[in-house]
Amino acid sequence: MKNTRYISILALIVMMQACKPEDTFDGPNLEDIYGPFFIEELLTISDDSLDLTAGETTHFHASFSKNLDWKLQVRGLSSGAVHIHEEFSSAVDFNWNGSTTVLPMFRKETCEVMLTFENQLDTLRDTLEVLTIRPVQGFVLSDFESGLNPGWVPFVQSGANMSFAVRSDGMAAQGNNYYDMGGAVTFDWLLGMVDMPATAYNVEHFPLSADANEVYFNTMVYKPAAYDNGLLLIRFYEDDNGDGNYSNTEDMWAFQLSGGADGWSTISRKYDDLVTLNNGTETAPIGNGLHEPDKLMQVSVLFLANPSSGYSQTYLDYMTFTEGGPLEP
Amino acid sequence: MKMKIKHIPLAIVSLGLVTQLQAQQETRKITFVGAARAQFYSDNYNSYYEQDTVTTPKLNSGNTLVDLGVNIRPNQQMEIQGMVRVRNDYGGFWGAGVSFDVRQLYVKGVAGGIVRYQLGDINYKLTRYTLWNSDQEMISGVPFLLQQQADVVNYDHFYNKDNSWRQQGGSAEVGFEFAKWIKEIGIKTVATRVKTSDFSQTNDRIFSGISASVIQSEHLRLGFNYVNVFDILGTSRSTTTFHQPVMTATLGYNRTIGPWQHGIEVEAGRSKWYYQNEGDSAKNDWQGRFADGRYNVQHNKTGWKGGVQLKYVSSDFRSMGAQTKRVNYNGTLNAFQRIGNDQAVRPISMIDLMRESGLYTTQLQTNLMAYSPQYDNITPYGEATPNRQAMILSAGYDKKNSPVSGQARYYRGQEVRGEGTTTLRNFERYEVNAAFNAKNYMAGKDRDASISLRLRSDRTTRQGSESVPAIDLSSKTITAGLDYEWKKQWHLLAAFQMLTYSGFELKSVRNENQEIYNFTELNLKGAEQLASIGAKYTFSDKAFLSVQYYQFLNNTNQLDAALYSNKQWMLLYQINF
Repeated sequence: MKNTRYISILALIVMMQACKPEDTFDGPNLEDIYGPFFIEELLTISDDSLDLTAGETTHFHASFSKNLDWKLQVRGLSSGAVHIHEEFSSAVDFNWNGSTTVLPMFRKETCEVMLTFENQLDTLRDTLEVLTIRPVQGFVLSDFESGLNPGWVPFVQSGANMSFAVRSDGMAAQGNNYYDMGGAVTFDWLLGMVDMPATAYNVEHFPLSADANEVYFNTMVYKPAAYDNGLLLIRFYEDDNGDGNYSNTEDMWAFQLSGGADGWSTISRKYDDLVTLNNGTETAPIGNGLHEPDKLMQVSVLFLANPSSGYSQTYLDYMTFTEGGPLEP
Repeated sequence: MKMKIKHIPLAIVSLGLVTQLQAQQETRKITFVGAARAQFYSDNYNSYYEQDTVTTPKLNSGNTLVDLGVNIRPNQQMEIQGMVRVRNDYGGFWGAGVSFDVRQLYVKGVAGGIVRYQLGDINYKLTRYTLWNSDQEMISGVPFLLQQQADVVNYDHFYNKDNSWRQQGGSAEVGFEFAKWIKEIGIKTVATRVKTSDFSQTNDRIFSGISASVIQSEHLRLGFNYVNVFDILGTSRSTTTFHQPVMTATLGYNRTIGPWQHGIEVEAGRSKWYYQNEGDSAKNDWQGRFADGRYNVQHNKTGWKGGVQLKYVSSDFRSMGAQTKRVNYNGTLNAFQRIGNDQAVRPISMIDLMRESGLYTTQLQTNLMAYSPQYDNITPYGEATPNRQAMILSAGYDKKNSPVSGQARYYRGQEVRGEGTTTLRNFERYEVNAAFNAKNYMAGKDRDASISLRLRSDRTTRQGSESVPAIDLSSKTITAGLDYEWKKQWHLLAAFQMLTYSGFELKSVRNENQEIYNFTELNLKGAEQLASIGAKYTFSDKAFLSVQYYQFLNNTNQLDAALYSNKQWMLLYQINF
């Protein structure tokens, strides 16, 4: 009987110790969901005249009565460039460096700033001026502002309505110019291509880091809404043996794009993620199998389409290698 | 090739002769086990609020199946059992709709006279907080007329009455007896595969466990249990592995003092779960703990008994072996999946739990599964339901040869950690079970007659604030059953179960890490009513034929076509051998 009593008391003490309600709670605060919403501090912009080339940033601030989903949108009134920042919090404290979420990139222009809240009617508005555009990032293959690089080797099939040309009609994702590739070829998948050797930049190999995990290839690509049949293939030729030439026993990395959303988008690929492609299928590397960006000697852009699919078109802009991360347009 | 075909009939005859010869031996080395069942449903759906011109109102379905098993005992230390299921769905003449499945396959025995082992399909359980297959809601412990349909589902999914989980793997156990201080030490271990690699992003997932029990005397037992669910790195391309170890200690003490029999059962432990990336030592983990102590007392002479249980299960306690539900409430129905002119998805109801085989799961689940608050908002994951601290009082009467038995239970609980607020939900449950065995009061005492009644009332409340609405969800269930053997082996059966529920609840929505990231408002109001009558003829203890008529009425605000009924005829023939 004594044992029973001791064990009961021990069990009770253990239970009493355990049964302590906790001060914290799981999940989002219900006061944020059901509590009243009102704006405590109106939207302020620390610098409403931005010199982006000089690396200036601006700080947006506002605060409200509860945590909720809010969206801050900066829209270029001339270019149509948009930067969107979304967050769940009770205050806006956001630094903007002039980057773009939806291409094109911001130009010298007046921008509208708009702060909206989920399930609330309130909208806060203001404006700011972009005085200069963002500085160039990384090693730029081309932004097409000066036309095609004279060291490049373009090839265009003799198809119908071939339009491999630099355009300047207000459609560019960055600056004023972009490269228009289009046409219809009934006898081959290839519509046209451009070889971009390192020698076009007066170097034997592109000046890139040897660490393939650090190097990114970036380009802005436009897909017209009317054409879904295009296929963009980008190849990277490495000089594995360092003899200054490429042979078919050295690595040729690649990636290809097809479909996707209409309009401009920024495509970035880590160099280490590039693969060897044979007719669109991943195959074993043909060289030493090492991703060596410092041995890269040529980039080729090929635009292809099924010969039976008719006319196809795409645009390119701002082709660049960045290091440490993908391009932030 | 022709030579081989010629020899096949001879081989079958020879096998038959061997089987017969062996069966004639004193120790039967080969026995046939199994079950056969024929089941037929005839449903008639009817909508009350609107003229449903889209849904096909009548539905006939059914199947006949045989589970045929061979139990082979090549020697005293070994047993092999294999069972195949041959099933023919209603309408599946001439081979169409016929399926053959391997239902069971295991080898078990004793190695070296010391280690008892089993390989293949195993039914395994440990404790209520480590590996336990909790009963499904609403249709457990109900009168025979309702239970027999649930038993079909339970049998098909290997849900045994001992709450074990059917797993595939291996188990072993060994025991040691001592002359002094300790009477016996037993060690059990188990390893099963709960998820198979897809060779892409899903690794093989293993449930393993070890349990040690120390029987100090006939009064005192101590135990230690450790289970771990983990992914095996390298079985797919994924470099992330899941881990969920649970460790518990148990204590059992019983003593009889005079006519009073006392018993204490305590279990306490901790859990941890995390994802580990290959080569990355840093990891986020979630840790939980629990403690459960219960004291029971019973008077041997009068049949009165009582008990008190105190329990605490923290919000982050996770034990997939104990928290996996039988019912997958995100599953889809087979019968009348969509109803009404808008063909809205019909929510799962009480009658579906009895017969929709596709709603049930057989694999342990890593995440807390969906549940239905109107059926059970208090203990949706059984005893191991996380975020609960409670006191449970019980009292009952059960005396041999007494026609009356009953039990009352009161659950009073609270959350450990609030959800969305520091204010805690409160839980309250009253439950009364009573049975009257009228066998001795009938003219023929060799016939059975019994009446059972069960009442349950659940309520969940939480105080609101100026802006946050209060939670107040209540549900009430009344269940009654009658089994009257009006003529030897002929039973007249009746059963009734009604659930009413109403109120407001904020159901938590969890992400892949089981963290709450949102809440869903539930404004529930409805009633489900199941009335049935039937007859059963028992050929023997192992075989019966029954025919029943069910009328199910569902009135729920979860549907535009809120009120509908399902009238169902069911014919069930079952034989175990």
